[in-house]
Amino acid sequence: MTTPTPAVQAAIDAVRDDFAGHPVEVVPDGAGGAYVVVDGVHLGGQYTPPTTWLGFQINAAYPRSDVYPHYIGRIARHDGGSLGEAVTDTEWRGRPALQLSRRSNHWNPAVDNAALKAEKVITWFAAK
Amino acid sequence: MVRREVNPPADGWSLTLPAGLWADLSRHLFTDGAGHGAVILAEHVRGPRGPRLLGRRLILAGDGVDYVEGTTGHHALRAEFVRDAAVLARDEGLAYLAVHNHYGTTTVGFSIVDLSSHERGYPALRQITRQLVGAVVFTSQAAAGDLWLPDGTRTTLAEVVVPDNNVLRLQPRPAEPAARDPEYDRQSRLFGDRGQETLRQLHVAVVGLGGVGSVVVELLARLGVGHLVLIDADHAARTNLPRLIAARHDDVGRPKTSLAARNARQANPDVMLTLIQQEVQTPRARDALAYCDWIFLAADTDAARHWVNEAVHQHLIPATQIGVKIPVDADGTLGQIHAVTRPITPDGGCLWCNELIDATELAIDMLPDAERERARYVAGVPAPSVIALNTLAAAEAVNHFMLAVTNLHHDDTGQAAVLHRPRSRDRDLQNPRRNPLCPTCSRCRQRT
Ligand SMILES: [Zn+2]
Ligand SMILES: [Zn+2]
Repeated sequence: MTTPTPAVQAAIDAVRDDFAGHPVEVVPDGAGGAYVVVDGVHLGGQYTPPTTWLGFQINAAYPRSDVYPHYIGRIARHDGGSLGEAVTDTEWRGRPALQLSRRSNHWNPAVDNAALKAEKVITWFAAK
Repeated sequence: MVRREVNPPADGWSLTLPAGLWADLSRHLFTDGAGHGAVILAEHVRGPRGPRLLGRRLILAGDGVDYVEGTTGHHALRAEFVRDAAVLARDEGLAYLAVHNHYGTTTVGFSIVDLSSHERGYPALRQITRQLVGAVVFTSQAAAGDLWLPDGTRTTLAEVVVPDNNVLRLQPRPAEPAARDPEYDRQSRLFGDRGQETLRQLHVAVVGLGGVGSVVVELLARLGVGHLVLIDADHAARTNLPRLIAARHDDVGRPKTSLAARNARQANPDVMLTLIQQEVQTPRARDALAYCDWIFLAADTDAARHWVNEAVHQHLIPATQIGVKIPVDADGTLGQIHAVTRPITPDGGCLWCNELIDATELAIDMLPDAERERARYVAGVPAPSVIALNTLAAAEAVNHFMLAVTNLHHDDTGQAAVLHRPRSRDRDLQNPRRNPLCPTCSRCRQRT
């Protein structure tokens, strides 16, 4: 069992800071990375339920690696409308989930990080 | 041409210097025939033949300022210079190695004056830094070291290794002549007996044992490389058979590691094999890469590229990326075929600098199997792949390796990739790009 690398550990700490007040569950992935689940993330009144969990893996190659994809609980639109592009039904670590596929095409390890990426994904989904 | 005899790898402590660090140090030490000094700060890791020191920082001593004539008429590093370098070593957790040069060519050793100054100074310096401290004395073709370990013991340095176009192994004196193995008589006439012995001692990893890697393994084993680390998680499929060297029809379903191992043993019953039937991103495979002298990258995932690139820069192990690109348009038009052999060296441009790794594809490769399949929801069309084209690139790569480790390249330095374009029958050299701010490879270029 390989424990999370110092870079992954620092990213987890930053996620906890960024989502202060939210329960954050961390499970080492056994290869130097970790699975992170942030609870009680508000995604907007157009969804039911409006609040769910957000999960992602910060892998051992972080911060050279992007954080991709992100997963949330299976929520739906109030109006019954489609969730649109880059959102697919899936399962993540035994939970029914939606996969949110947001690539960072110019991921730069000096600027980009797991907490910022999570914020961006939430903002994007909330604006749908 | 007079043959420059290569030194086979020596057991014991070694110091590896990135090519650029060695170039800066050589320029400082060997320009005018006078004595010069410097300090190298080095990281301490484990290696296949003993502990390795990896040169991370070079601090040149200014002539007459930091490297001055002492009371005995012998030159020495000034006390303040030593103190500053030692504090840096302590703060960064790196070994402290004082460096100077002697006259001579292929043989070098410390003088009595050198040794008595070590005995006066190093016990205290070791206490200050709480790190390994020591000295290395160089000529342009030889090196010797006196190492004082944190546990209170003292040992010598077996060799200084500079992985470049030729892999230099500087030792205190030329290696003993090696015995000629009659089986390898014909190739020993090229490599020399010591060159053949070098191949026998090397630990070489092959990442990916498919169309390219299986050919690489065959060539390495026939050359007499003594230890192979074979990494691949896949099993042979029916569609692989036309490209897997010496594969049989009843091999379908067998692990590619087993097929490669069988071929290697047929070529050389004495070969030592480490089989890792896992993907290269797994901790076991990543660890194994750190115990090699050379890595062949014959897998085309972004994770394989990233972790081999990491091994090169974290452990100063040279690698060669091998790939064949056969571009076919949506309408079926065939483009230029490229067979590429790309050296990845600690001081060359890395695969990130050359935009050969995609950060998102890397994240997908690092997902567990089930999630990876779901995350990559666009099914790919298999690319064309042909044994003869793969063999062109594989042979180029193994030729480059074999001439590098036996010091038979015309130039000691150089990291250019070779591009074959079989459809137009031309061949080009391409120098790697280097991003000075790259967080992966810039750490091999720290100068103070
Ligand atoms: Zn001396
Ligand atoms: Zn780089």
